[in-house]
Amino acid sequence: MTVGTSGSTDSEGRGADGDPAASPGGGGRQSLRDRLNRWDVRYSPYLYIAPFFVIFAIVGLFPLLYTSYVSLFDWSLVADDPVFIGLDNYVALMGDARFWQAMVNTISIFILSTAPQLAMALLFAVLLDAHLRARTLFRVGLLLPYVASLVALGIIFGNLFNSEYGLINGLLGLVGIDPINWHSDRFASHVAIASMVNWRWAGYNALIILAAMQAIPRDLYEAATVDGAGRWRRFVSVTLPMLRPTMIFVVITATVGGLQIFTEPKLFAVVPGSNNGGSTGQFQTVTLFMYQQGFENFDLGYASATAWVLFLVIVIFALINFWLTRRISSTEGPR
Amino acid sequence: MLALPIGLTAALTLSACGGGGEDGDIELVVATFNEMGYEELLEEYEEANPGITVTHRKTGAAESHHQSLFTRINAGSGLADVEAVEEGYMAQAMEASGRFNDLAEIGPDDVSPDRWLDWKYEAGVTPDGKLIGYGTDIGPLAMCYRADLLEDAGLPSDPAEVGELFATWDSYFAAGDEFVAANQDSAWFDTGAQVFNAMHNQLETGYYDTDSNVVIESNTAIKDNWDQVVAAVEGGQSAGLEAFSPAWDTSFGDDAFATKTCPPWMLGQIEGLAGEDKVWRVAEGFPEGGGNWGGTWLTVPTQSDHPEEAAALAAWLTAPEQQTRAFVASGPFPSQVEALESDELLALTNEYFDVETGALYAEQAAAVGPAQFKGPRDGQIQTNVLTPALTSVEEGTASPDEAWDAVVSGAENLAG
Amino acid sequence: MSVLSAPKPARRRRGQDPGSIIGKPGFLTYGLLIAFILGSAFPLYWSFLVASRDSSFTAEQLPPMWPGGNFFANAARVFDTAPFWLALGNSFLVGAIVTVSVVFFGTLAGYAFAKLQFRGNNALFAFVIATLLVPTQLGVIPMFMAMAELEMAGELVAVILPNLVTALGVFWMRQYLIAAVPTELLEAARVDGCSMIRTFWHVVLPAARPAAAILALFTFMTSWNDFLWPLVVLDPSNPTIQLALEQLQSGYSVDYSLVLAGTTLATLPILFIFIVLGKQIVSGIMQGAVKG
Repeated sequence: MTVGTSGSTDSEGRGADGDPAASPGGGGRQSLRDRLNRWDVRYSPYLYIAPFFVIFAIVGLFPLLYTSYVSLFDWSLVADDPVFIGLDNYVALMGDARFWQAMVNTISIFILSTAPQLAMALLFAVLLDAHLRARTLFRVGLLLPYVASLVALGIIFGNLFNSEYGLINGLLGLVGIDPINWHSDRFASHVAIASMVNWRWAGYNALIILAAMQAIPRDLYEAATVDGAGRWRRFVSVTLPMLRPTMIFVVITATVGGLQIFTEPKLFAVVPGSNNGGSTGQFQTVTLFMYQQGFENFDLGYASATAWVLFLVIVIFALINFWLTRRISSTEGPR
Repeated sequence: MLALPIGLTAALTLSACGGGGEDGDIELVVATFNEMGYEELLEEYEEANPGITVTHRKTGAAESHHQSLFTRINAGSGLADVEAVEEGYMAQAMEASGRFNDLAEIGPDDVSPDRWLDWKYEAGVTPDGKLIGYGTDIGPLAMCYRADLLEDAGLPSDPAEVGELFATWDSYFAAGDEFVAANQDSAWFDTGAQVFNAMHNQLETGYYDTDSNVVIESNTAIKDNWDQVVAAVEGGQSAGLEAFSPAWDTSFGDDAFATKTCPPWMLGQIEGLAGEDKVWRVAEGFPEGGGNWGGTWLTVPTQSDHPEEAAALAAWLTAPEQQTRAFVASGPFPSQVEALESDELLALTNEYFDVETGALYAEQAAAVGPAQFKGPRDGQIQTNVLTPALTSVEEGTASPDEAWDAVVSGAENLAG
Repeated sequence: MSVLSAPKPARRRRGQDPGSIIGKPGFLTYGLLIAFILGSAFPLYWSFLVASRDSSFTAEQLPPMWPGGNFFANAARVFDTAPFWLALGNSFLVGAIVTVSVVFFGTLAGYAFAKLQFRGNNALFAFVIATLLVPTQLGVIPMFMAMAELEMAGELVAVILPNLVTALGVFWMRQYLIAAVPTELLEAARVDGCSMIRTFWHVVLPAARPAAAILALFTFMTSWNDFLWPLVVLDPSNPTIQLALEQLQSGYSVDYSLVLAGTTLATLPILFIFIVLGKQIVSGIMQGAVKG
């Protein structure tokens, strides 16, 4: 393929359609530009990733180093003379029942939200991949939860899950179930918060999966059809494996987001702006705990130590998830 | 290709420079939150003081304002020349007293402590005697009550008689028992935490002793208050509505409870939420005298390049005449003795509550006892330990003993 | 955004699409989707309801589900209370610059990580992922120090600079490009003597458009909704939209009809972009991509 204006239109078309068969197999030209080309091939990648690392070094690295430094001090947000205490913050954290409670809450909410969220996202992606009328309307609809204001969400979900006159308990009453104390009962509060997470993020993830679905070359399906594969079979043996990289992305970001969950439990608090996560901390998450230590109790050293422990936990979860996702999708590799 | 975004960034970076006053003008920045009523005053100050320009940074909520304030204290730059600090954050500011100027030292000489009510002035002074804030407003407590509900329950409902009924906490809770026995549908107060906080602030020694040690276990007065409130809660006197929650807002429109501790700034809110057909009144008197909830100080951080000019502005703003005008403009109740005696303030009445608000609250302000020493985590112990613990008792998710244990360990955790 | 309204290639329109697991969408499909849309749209409608009434509205347990007549009065109060238009302009400026930068650099780096062989590829990518795992809330303090040092505190650039690249953007583009750009196509371009940057420009960028549109949307919304960092670093007189909305929450009790009038007003331009402009721009962008 010669590079030029005429060639570029072609490559654009194929790029999106991903139709390798149509690309012209041109013979390579070996010439003086060889060396230049080799440099190009060898160093261009570094050039491409450089902007990220350069900007990150300027604005991202310092905060990280600062946080790890602060975590070794008895450092109040307002005190004049921080005292070096080594790993004492970490030791204290390990013995802090409130922290462990927050950790259990976080993992519980994480599990209650991530799996249904991803299942719903996949379901809606499949539904939206069909030949719908008013397709755009439905796709825009996926994003509406994302543009709604947080103030409104806080009030609405507070109302829905109000134990005395909330809609949810009203509906449960219709089918003969006793009202549930959504805010004071620990597990119920986790379910309520998880439903907020699912509501807010399933559509967004569906859109991501949908984009990846539509990038799958259609001839793969046609080949499978020729082989006599039915719809479900095509979905399992073509769609899912081709979605693997995207599913890894969705799973990892859902893990990171789920374990750093902050906005939803904060909004769910009965008292606006409270970081307590309920009267006995029944739905306080680790990030909320960290935020409270840092910006309410002004114990920056302790908050920083919390941030790093949370980081370690997320690394572990992300690795497990990554490994699981790989395993699951590689057993069903494309044939 | 890379040129476009990088070029944009460079342009923005350049435009970021600059600022500062022109021609030797002194630029003072005043950072406030809520409505402090300073808009007109600041313009007037500029006019009266050529060579000084004043910029007003106004944040909405107290929480946001202080979050930004303390981050900038920690970062060591970015603070305004005059920063407002609210009551609940004053203990933190005290802890960082090195970052604030001593106004007694740099402020104008004609500002003397007797400008303010004693307890307000004292609360702006650090344990080692440094004045870090000029008081602006206060929130003297009165007791609001539903005259119609009290009457239905066979209790007195006239403000003066109710005042007698509310003379002490004992009589208040006794009346509550009577009320609850007569009225099955309504509670006596909104939430135990609101009552407890009012009782607590009347104590001479609070959660800390003057050496900043947490004394929550040895200070038996705290446990006594706790027991009294918990008993009332178990007697059905609490509506169990957390203050400022949406359900609490809604409850004013119902007959959810009959009494509410109310500083002057809460009157407008109750009126707005309750509606015309509910008869809310303010009692003449408050259990055990008076109390305070809310109020702000103006501080001058050491980051300021013009501390003396900033202190002069803060002193001017907190003078009785200006605070009286701010009060007329936006309603913050002044803390200055002369302002509390001013005609403008005494003339203030409230139709909805059918009361001479100005006179009543001025009297309540005079009844407030000496300032209680507030330790560094005082506000957090109140909002994040005591309040949730009482809520857990109201919810039934913890027994009173479990909740008290959570208070003791929670306070020690915070202070440790 | 492109998947919102991308016209399908012609051959998909005829008869059955072998890729779709649902052949002809039936009652169930539409029912589920409509339920989802209604649920998604409710908070927006509800915000408008509150915004169209007065402050007593939220004090009712079962508020009426039709709008009242106070919306314009509340909107006028919004404009009086906060520098709304300035904030709107600021947020659009910040969002636009950040979005263009994140998408471009994300695609560039994502492509390198997805398709190019170079030493340290995996390790560097692992580092990118690792930066995603650190909670960001505490970063505002050191970041403020840095911005103060650079004399950017209080300026919009302080909100723009830290967001010019995101690990999420790099990660997403990498994952998408792995599957969306066949390696054979890149090899063919190379064999044809295409330089690396030309390959990127003519082969990768077009293929990346659907993913780039989604990333753009997400980045813009994240920037639009950002609160903590702008609160700390900006001056309330030169705010972003979220800070302006915060100014509506002054006072001891929140006037929800005022606040939600503000959030409704702030959401309208976004919705407008989504629905009208999004469709226009996207179908324009997609024209090249669907020719094949």
